[in-house]
Amino acid sequence: MDQTFSNQTFLKIVQGIVGEENATDDRAICASYSRDQHWHFVPAKNPAYVVRPGDKEEVREVLMLANKHKIPVIPYSTGINVRGLTIPVHDGSILLDLSRMNRIIEINPEMKTATVEPGVTFGMLLEQTKKYKLRPAFPDAPLTVSVLVNYYLRGIYQTSATDGHDHTLSYEMVLPNGELIKTGSRALSNMPYFRYGVGPDFTGMFNAHPGTCGVVTELTAKLYRLYDHRRAYFIGFDDVSTSQKFIYNLMNDELAASIRLVDNQSWLKGICGTFDFPYEKLPKFVLCMLVEGLAGIFEAKDNLVREYVKDAGGELLDFPEEFKRTFEDESLGGAEKSCMVFGLRGNYHCIGLYGPLTLAAKYYELHEKTALEVGIPKDHVHFYLDPIYSFHGQLCYFELDIFYDGSDPGFGAKLRSYNNKQFHKLLDLGIYGWFRPYAGIIEPTVERIGYLSEVWKKFLKVLDPNEIMNRGKLF
Amino acid sequence: MELEREEILSAIYHCVKCKLCSIASFHPREEWLPLCPSGQFYGYQAFYAPGKMEIFRALLEGEITEPSDGLLNAVYACTVCGACYEKCKQITSVELGAPDLFEAMRNELASKGWIPDVHKNIADKIKETRNAYGEIYEYKAETTERNADILYYIGCTARYRVPEIADAMLEIFNKLGIKYQVMDEEWCCGSVLFRTGQVEEAKELVAHNAEEIKKSGAKTVIFTCPGCLKTFEKNYPDMGVELVHSTQFLLRLGNIKVKKLDMEVAYHDPCHLGRDLGIYEEPRTVLKEVANVKEMKREREQAWCCGSGGGVKSAFDDFALWSATERLKEAKEAGAEALVSACPFCKRNLKEAAEKEIMAVYDIVELVNRCLEG
Repeated sequence: MDQTFSNQTFLKIVQGIVGEENATDDRAICASYSRDQHWHFVPAKNPAYVVRPGDKEEVREVLMLANKHKIPVIPYSTGINVRGLTIPVHDGSILLDLSRMNRIIEINPEMKTATVEPGVTFGMLLEQTKKYKLRPAFPDAPLTVSVLVNYYLRGIYQTSATDGHDHTLSYEMVLPNGELIKTGSRALSNMPYFRYGVGPDFTGMFNAHPGTCGVVTELTAKLYRLYDHRRAYFIGFDDVSTSQKFIYNLMNDELAASIRLVDNQSWLKGICGTFDFPYEKLPKFVLCMLVEGLAGIFEAKDNLVREYVKDAGGELLDFPEEFKRTFEDESLGGAEKSCMVFGLRGNYHCIGLYGPLTLAAKYYELHEKTALEVGIPKDHVHFYLDPIYSFHGQLCYFELDIFYDGSDPGFGAKLRSYNNKQFHKLLDLGIYGWFRPYAGIIEPTVERIGYLSEVWKKFLKVLDPNEIMNRGKLF
Repeated sequence: MELEREEILSAIYHCVKCKLCSIASFHPREEWLPLCPSGQFYGYQAFYAPGKMEIFRALLEGEITEPSDGLLNAVYACTVCGACYEKCKQITSVELGAPDLFEAMRNELASKGWIPDVHKNIADKIKETRNAYGEIYEYKAETTERNADILYYIGCTARYRVPEIADAMLEIFNKLGIKYQVMDEEWCCGSVLFRTGQVEEAKELVAHNAEEIKKSGAKTVIFTCPGCLKTFEKNYPDMGVELVHSTQFLLRLGNIKVKKLDMEVAYHDPCHLGRDLGIYEEPRTVLKEVANVKEMKREREQAWCCGSGGGVKSAFDDFALWSATERLKEAKEAGAEALVSACPFCKRNLKEAAEKEIMAVYDIVELVNRCLEG
């Protein structure tokens, strides 16, 4: 920050923009934003100010002021943040809490779209879209998270395989210089329903940076059909590789709405909604699957699924009806009980990545091997696989999970050691891409991407020449 | 601080900030129903449970070394209603609950003298008058039989702010011919001191009341105030007597003759009675005998707090009344013409807010007394 005026003067100016009650430098209020669940990698750090704008004009004024005085800005949406992505890097940062901007601007059932502000959660959105028998694509994250941020951060993994990968159609973003960028068809008209409006895919170009390029104030996303006809299946497998052929068949014939392969000691508990069940007596991996569709189509799909189940090489598990209902809720209505994984040992660590189904067994094998090498017990090692339609490249989301006691600093050291080794090993084995810009992941990655990293840096420099958008962590 | 530092930090480090604690269970109804009055009203992360835990961590780890307005507001503008913990424990099965943590945080702050002036004043009033309101007159209540098995502990709020509740309870005893005692020198139970972290100041009250009750020879102490009952359960030594809420007592009387009112009412679960003591069914069973009960969307473990407890009514009245207004709107939405609770503190705040909302507010014992054929 340049030293043209005092912190108090700066605060007064910001309060003049957003209202006195919506900007503070109180140390305790700032401390409440100082950590997320990733404290073993990203230590606590207070922002200097917390600012809560109420609309895009206030966002614009605050950003321009911050840009002028070179003050770092960390956008923050609904308060559920992971991997240190909203923890300040530099002293004197502004935490831009966007939770007041929680309007659902439009639900358009004819276009099957929703336009939302950053403070809208998946729960808030489903409450409204279900009136039209529509739903958003859900991440397997608490339904208290922001729709806009999850879609903007990257095309998300989702609890329904049929939704595909990219849910964002267009958005508008305020840049540090105060200019407003509109992507997709939004740039040309008041119809924000098409992603590729003009020139390159700008909607995609601003996604998934290790920091942010600006502040997205409005985003239009796809909505998906809710069907009345559904059936859940649970199939046990003794290993990952046996399940691969069955998953391939389901994906190739586009039969299942939700397919999740999980081990029997972690996510399965949330999917079923209870800790109280003899999960340890089940086969080591359980494939949770949901078939849905219109009358007629549903029955046809279901018949084909039953045929595949016979030859799956697994065991069809007879779970209670309430487990099936919970799985349906969690898959197509937003994750709530799934968060019971937090109750396993308190905290969780994961490396989420995209890769082909063909490497599924190898990813798991490598996960277990590296964990054991750094002294992480075998019973802390867990796995999650989500195939994604339309399955070109046999695209899957993988999660290499470790559930642990977050109050144990010794375990934190083991996890850091795990990451240092595993990032390189996974890159050597072959992945399509990382799910999140985890701490320490960008350095070994950038080494391998050649001149693209130079282009990337220059692109960010154009958008954010003063580097105020929380990029210091990585670039 | 009663809790050990390591125990507290371990609990704080188990919060992964999912913030599911801020809403009522979403499935299967799929409605977005906020659960944290403080967070909903003030908005900053500091006012939600995960933010408050982060503040407590920063305090214990030496990152916050000075008091500030934001600190006192975040810590004390919380009714310690426990709704966050009820939701959290379903998911995380964490054992040390947020209300215990937040009371420990207040205790930590109070030990440094970092406490709102209004709460200090309450402690001064109690020291001077032995009641939380600093009143010097006496509520008129007469023992009907010395050494009666039943002792009615009236509590400060029913004595000095909503005496219609104490009146109703006493009339019920009389109509049913039940002999009872009231304490000659009933002192404040200390609830407000415990809830605001002023534990040391409460010790004298505990010693006095416990001694008086032991001397009375009563076998059962009845409370219309769940805050008092919780305090006796949690903070008092074992006095060898049974502690029961008025609704539990009425239910155990069995078939008392009442004439049911033609009135649609919603029942508001008091936090101390429900979440703290697990008493959900008895009030409903009694209320169904005297009125037609409509359930609100947020009820039992996931009831929306009235906004009054934890020292909020005295220090943050605008927030308290906003919370109560939210509850009254919910009762209206449920089709109720009156809102009924089982707590003098809830009634007082809800009634004050209801003056704008134009809705009747009662305590269960008032309706029972009205319906009781004397």
